[in-house]
Amino acid sequence: MGKVTPKSPLPIRIAALAICAGVGALLSRAVLAIPETESGLAPLVDANLEASGVKNAVTAVLLNFRGYDTLLEIAVLMLATIGVLSLSVTQKGTWDPIAAQADPVLSALARFLAPVMILVSGYLLWAGEHAPGGAFQAGSVVGAAGVLLALSGYARPAWISRFALRAAISVGFIVFIAVAIGEMIAGGLLLQYPADLAKTLMLLVETWLTVSIGAILVSLFIASASPAEELRMRSGGER
Amino acid sequence: MAEWIVRQLPALVILMPFTAAPLAYLLGAKFGRPIALVSALLSQPLALLLAIRVSRVGTLRYEVGGWGGPLGIDLVVDGVAAVMVLVTTVVGLFVTVYALGYFGDRERYRFFWPLWLFLWGSLLALFLSGDIFNLYVCLELVSMSAVALVGLTLSREALVAAMRYMLAAILGSLFYLLGVALIYGAFGSVDMQTLREVIRGDTTGQAALALMTVGLVLKTALFPLHFWLPPAHSNAPSPVSAVLSALVVKGSFYILVRLWVDVAQTAAFPGASTVLGVLGATAIFWGSIQALRQERLKMLVAYSTVAQIGYLFLMFPLVTGGGPAAADAWTGGVFHAVSHALAKSAMFLAAGTVLARFGHDRIEGLGGLSRRAPATAMTFGLAGVTMMGLPPSGGFVAKWQMIRASIESGQWWWAVVVVAGGLLAAAYVFKVLGPFFGREPEAMDEADLDPGPSPWTMEGAALALALGSLVLGVLGQPLLDLIMVSAPALVAGVTP
Repeated sequence: MGKVTPKSPLPIRIAALAICAGVGALLSRAVLAIPETESGLAPLVDANLEASGVKNAVTAVLLNFRGYDTLLEIAVLMLATIGVLSLSVTQKGTWDPIAAQADPVLSALARFLAPVMILVSGYLLWAGEHAPGGAFQAGSVVGAAGVLLALSGYARPAWISRFALRAAISVGFIVFIAVAIGEMIAGGLLLQYPADLAKTLMLLVETWLTVSIGAILVSLFIASASPAEELRMRSGGER
Repeated sequence: MAEWIVRQLPALVILMPFTAAPLAYLLGAKFGRPIALVSALLSQPLALLLAIRVSRVGTLRYEVGGWGGPLGIDLVVDGVAAVMVLVTTVVGLFVTVYALGYFGDRERYRFFWPLWLFLWGSLLALFLSGDIFNLYVCLELVSMSAVALVGLTLSREALVAAMRYMLAAILGSLFYLLGVALIYGAFGSVDMQTLREVIRGDTTGQAALALMTVGLVLKTALFPLHFWLPPAHSNAPSPVSAVLSALVVKGSFYILVRLWVDVAQTAAFPGASTVLGVLGATAIFWGSIQALRQERLKMLVAYSTVAQIGYLFLMFPLVTGGGPAAADAWTGGVFHAVSHALAKSAMFLAAGTVLARFGHDRIEGLGGLSRRAPATAMTFGLAGVTMMGLPPSGGFVAKWQMIRASIESGQWWWAVVVVAGGLLAAAYVFKVLGPFFGREPEAMDEADLDPGPSPWTMEGAALALALGSLVLGVLGQPLLDLIMVSAPALVAGVTP
């Protein structure tokens, strides 16, 4: 399994092309053979939408019908962040400014945009109940706001401690697990929302998921950017 | 209370490490260590209860969210799932105890605890899942934590190995995911129980299974897709090596077996099961010969894993025909996974003790180890007995079952492979045991080289696992019975 770069010898490139073409042909044949009438689980989802507590089918699937998948996916995100932090050469943590010197225009713009982005994310979170939106979209916007701030030279504010950052990264998963266990103690099964509380609990989970997804995206961005910065500083490079 | 625990058991088993993991991260290394130990201890009765429950009442089905498949996700615990949970939990406990001594409270290894607890929970989630998309998420969780754990030492070799491992693992996952998408498109479900009824060996079905098989074989490191395994398993910190070889490779293998034997039924694809068997046989020879050529202990043990994975794949051609041979092949294969998990984790932990104490793991430099570290030398010897498949070890029972299955199904050549593989294993085990129980190297100043005995928890944990792999052969009957509880129709001889 050599790396396929322009420097690879011709036979390897031809072999790689042949493998890709073969898999491609197999996939095309397989996809074309799928009967067109099959509608999957959509009718089942529609039939149970009423009972899910929300009106948007995607949110119902993500948080309720297949909420267990989402629980594990948040674990994947959190795990990826812990992994990146553990591998980052400096291990210095998160949310240090990336740009050494702030561009005054950019930093003024970021100051203006960041609150708006937080507001947009709040809207997306709320809208997820009945329209496209939800924690993942809202969290992405929070994450983008954080990345923008970091790029504009804003450092982690002193009042956000290392512990608070770890808390922000893990709170989504912890609240999700806590809700799941709470439902079990209340007499249901794992992630079985009581009908009258379903909407409230899902919103609670999604709110904290938004916080965590935002913190995770910012941390991933900054932690994976830091080694390069470190190297540049070490080699005394000037821009 | 008791009734509640019984009802929630499958969820509780998974929730234990998954609750401990974020707490271990949030509260840092100081609390991570006790949290991991408490989680490991509390997991023991849960796993044991689960196994007892399954052996009494058969398959447990737990409908997450209360919806039930195919709309929701089901946790399904049959005999083989309960066995895998049990072995994960037992190996997990001893690895945790070992790691407490191995990593100490060194700050740079603070990430080990949350990563390890996440890996533990992910493996349990994988073994209990009854939904092929959920299994994809589990696979990602397992790979993500395993890759980070491999790179934990931040040495150049470890980082390169981790990177290579990650690329292989992601490629494998994506192949699997492609298959899941095709299956959902063609058969309208990702729930295994539903799929069992509707899946067909048509163009889409076969393409999906082929893609998933390639992906899972890559993740299980079956020859010739094993290239990533030896560097990853040998450069990882030893407690991690132990978990990777003992449990992680079995995770993807487990999904493969579920897909073939339980969901799709091998009968639909008879030719492919022979191919998997041939690759398994090649892996046994290739891995053993490579192991013989290694100078470093951990590399030797890693190549031994490549060989031992081969045995697992002999299950496919032996199960295909059904009948009593299928049942023997099924119990033999699963039993092999279990006894290899115990023996291999013991070997890697023993190798880690050597590495931590002497600062190197060159086999020729370890002469006379039996006098300086008798427990560690003994651990290696006992685990070696299982690798070779000598009675009364667990490895013997596993190989006995496989040989019986070969004879019963009239495919004697697989029996030859099993026996020859045992001889080759003896060769590489004695390559290590020879120096261990031989003379000490002459030109060695002991005071300089030996900082003194390792913590007893490390040597004890490794020895306990090795003893476990040995005792398994004597006390294996309950386990064999448990493997057959609610076994797939093809194996149990029930016409579906």
